[in-house]
Amino acid sequence: MKKKAGLLFLAVVMIIAIVGFSETITLTLWTAPNPNQNLFWKTLLPQWAKTHPNIKIKQSQIPAARSSEEAILTAIASNRQPDICTNIFSGFAAELVSAGQLVPLDSFSGFKALIKTRDMQDVIKSWKLKGHYYVMPIYDNPILVWWRKSMLEKAGFTKPPRTYSELYALSKKITIPHKRYAFKVFGGQSWWDRWWDFMTLYYAASEGKPYIDVKRNKAVFDNEYGKDVASFVYTMFKKHYTTVAFGQHPFFKGAVAGAIKGPWSIPSAKSQFPKVLKDVIIAPPLVPDNYPTDKPVYTFADAKGMIIFKSCKHKDAAWEFMKWVFSNPEHDLLWLKLTQEPPTREDLLTNPLFANYLKTHPLLAQYAKYVKYTVPPALSPKTIDIQQSLTNNFMEPLMYLTVTPQEAVKNAVKAIDSLLSQ
Amino acid sequence: MIRKTTLKKHENLKGWLLSSPYLIFILVFWGYPFVWLVVLSFTKWNFMTPKKFIGIENFVKLFSNPFFWTLTWNTFKFMCYFIPMVLVFSITLAVAFTKAKKFKAFLAISFLVANVSSGVAYSIVFSQLFSSNGPLNRFLYNSFGFIIPWFTNPNWAMFSIAIMVTWKFLGYYALIFMAGLQMIPKELYEAADLDGANKRTRFFKITLPLLNPSIVMIMVLAISLSFGIFTEPYMITGGGPLNGTQTFLLAIYTDAFERYRAGYAASLSIIAASMSFAIIYATRKIIEREVDFS
Repeated sequence: MKKKAGLLFLAVVMIIAIVGFSETITLTLWTAPNPNQNLFWKTLLPQWAKTHPNIKIKQSQIPAARSSEEAILTAIASNRQPDICTNIFSGFAAELVSAGQLVPLDSFSGFKALIKTRDMQDVIKSWKLKGHYYVMPIYDNPILVWWRKSMLEKAGFTKPPRTYSELYALSKKITIPHKRYAFKVFGGQSWWDRWWDFMTLYYAASEGKPYIDVKRNKAVFDNEYGKDVASFVYTMFKKHYTTVAFGQHPFFKGAVAGAIKGPWSIPSAKSQFPKVLKDVIIAPPLVPDNYPTDKPVYTFADAKGMIIFKSCKHKDAAWEFMKWVFSNPEHDLLWLKLTQEPPTREDLLTNPLFANYLKTHPLLAQYAKYVKYTVPPALSPKTIDIQQSLTNNFMEPLMYLTVTPQEAVKNAVKAIDSLLSQ
Repeated sequence: MIRKTTLKKHENLKGWLLSSPYLIFILVFWGYPFVWLVVLSFTKWNFMTPKKFIGIENFVKLFSNPFFWTLTWNTFKFMCYFIPMVLVFSITLAVAFTKAKKFKAFLAISFLVANVSSGVAYSIVFSQLFSSNGPLNRFLYNSFGFIIPWFTNPNWAMFSIAIMVTWKFLGYYALIFMAGLQMIPKELYEAADLDGANKRTRFFKITLPLLNPSIVMIMVLAISLSFGIFTEPYMITGGGPLNGTQTFLLAIYTDAFERYRAGYAASLSIIAASMSFAIIYATRKIIEREVDFS
């Protein structure tokens, strides 16, 4: 009888154990509403499902809204946020961290090893927030300048202008008022457009120095680099070497010889303007005349990453998934091939896996070269206010010549300091 | 007597049943959000952390913020450009429609196409058309040596948006005026002809006064539209240059979803709605007249 009871007990324990261990965890994953990135996840996730039957990943694109941030915020407000989310830029991550929404990834075992495996020891440093790492950067898009080779050659330039003065010289030759200009300076009216003008130019001029001291909550671009950038913008508009409203696709339609662009423009140009793409040379952002020729040019990083929400009930499982995604270089290669956006790793030109692919994609290779010289925007929860202030107090007054370059820098620093102190 | 009461009750119930889907719809999609909006306007909330009750702080901040007055001024400017422009052109178009001998309906529908076209799509078309190096400016520059800074000059930008919105609503408003014109009895014009009235007198003494209900309706629609401009500045100017095209709706959106200040955005939307209501009320008081067609 005792033996029977013992066997029965053992059977019950085994059943509970089997049921318990085989319980399937479901994690929700939101990815960027971008067809190429969606294709990447759709290709990758079946591989995960094969090797991890107990952790099911339910992937969907971030719901339709005017911006990913808006969709994520409304999800948080109604407690419908996913467990894992991609497409998070540094400023939004800072906002989420200050609201206590994110899990610090360095609290998981294996974080340091993953950073080493993915070869991102230097790049990850710029993602440190309040002493921790909350975001796993997925890709890092250096922002560079595209030039129309034929237009440069017609103007007598064998290579793209490197400095402001070289651009002025090109502008003199190329500009036909209200028809053709040498360079598109102004990125646009939205807050994020400051990434494509002020920040790209400031990082290039200053060797990647910060424009905001996040620890002291102060704007720190009232220096020679800030003034150089301001003088450049002012001169371009004063001499009518550029204009504000170009209409759609000015670069591809030949209205400008040069424009600041990210690597995402390569696939779109391939489908819309394949002939023009053959005429493109990619160069680093313009620098002040005294910028040393032997120093690398830094630039702005349009970088997005993956996060785990604190509300996730299975954090270890989420981390397991994240580790799996980023520890295999084949996954990064697949990303590179499908999205044409450089994954955040420093070995893109040295690791044969990537180098061989990049050899056959020279335009993308140019972007890969600059990944290690990229700097993301300041990790401030007030990113949008800061960038809106840069529009109102820096770019616009310079474009409309209502202030001198020195005044623009002083006014913008003052306005940003004031909003950072609130 | 009992039967009459039962019938009355029955009719009453039927009335409530018939109108209940609409009432439920209003309660869910208008009543609840409205109450929520009012509650939100007294709080500080960034969508992520718990809401904090702050009394009327949002409203105080709002009125002391110079940007609020910029929004008010921009909306006023837009109304000054848009309302006269759309009134004159849509009445003219309606008169033209009524004079047309053939294809009246086709003409009216053709003008209505603009109204149903996507705001995003036509914003892209106009931004191309009005750009510094666009076809319009290139023609002006080549022919007359000057350009019009449609979207690049703070004073012109709002006017350009008013032109776009006028183009969109012209056909729709003309249809309303056309219906109003058809209501006017022909005998009145015949009587005026016998009295020797010229075209001008007929228009100003008969047509315009008898079009009053349509004019009031268009004014109400146009004023509420002026407070709801969003797509055009969002797509083309982003509120610039120098905040010249910032509108209430654009600011509400930016404050709520870009700056995460939901409470402040709620208070701004309440003030904007109250202002539009007040202007509509005043306008009706001033221009609305009792019209007798007999």
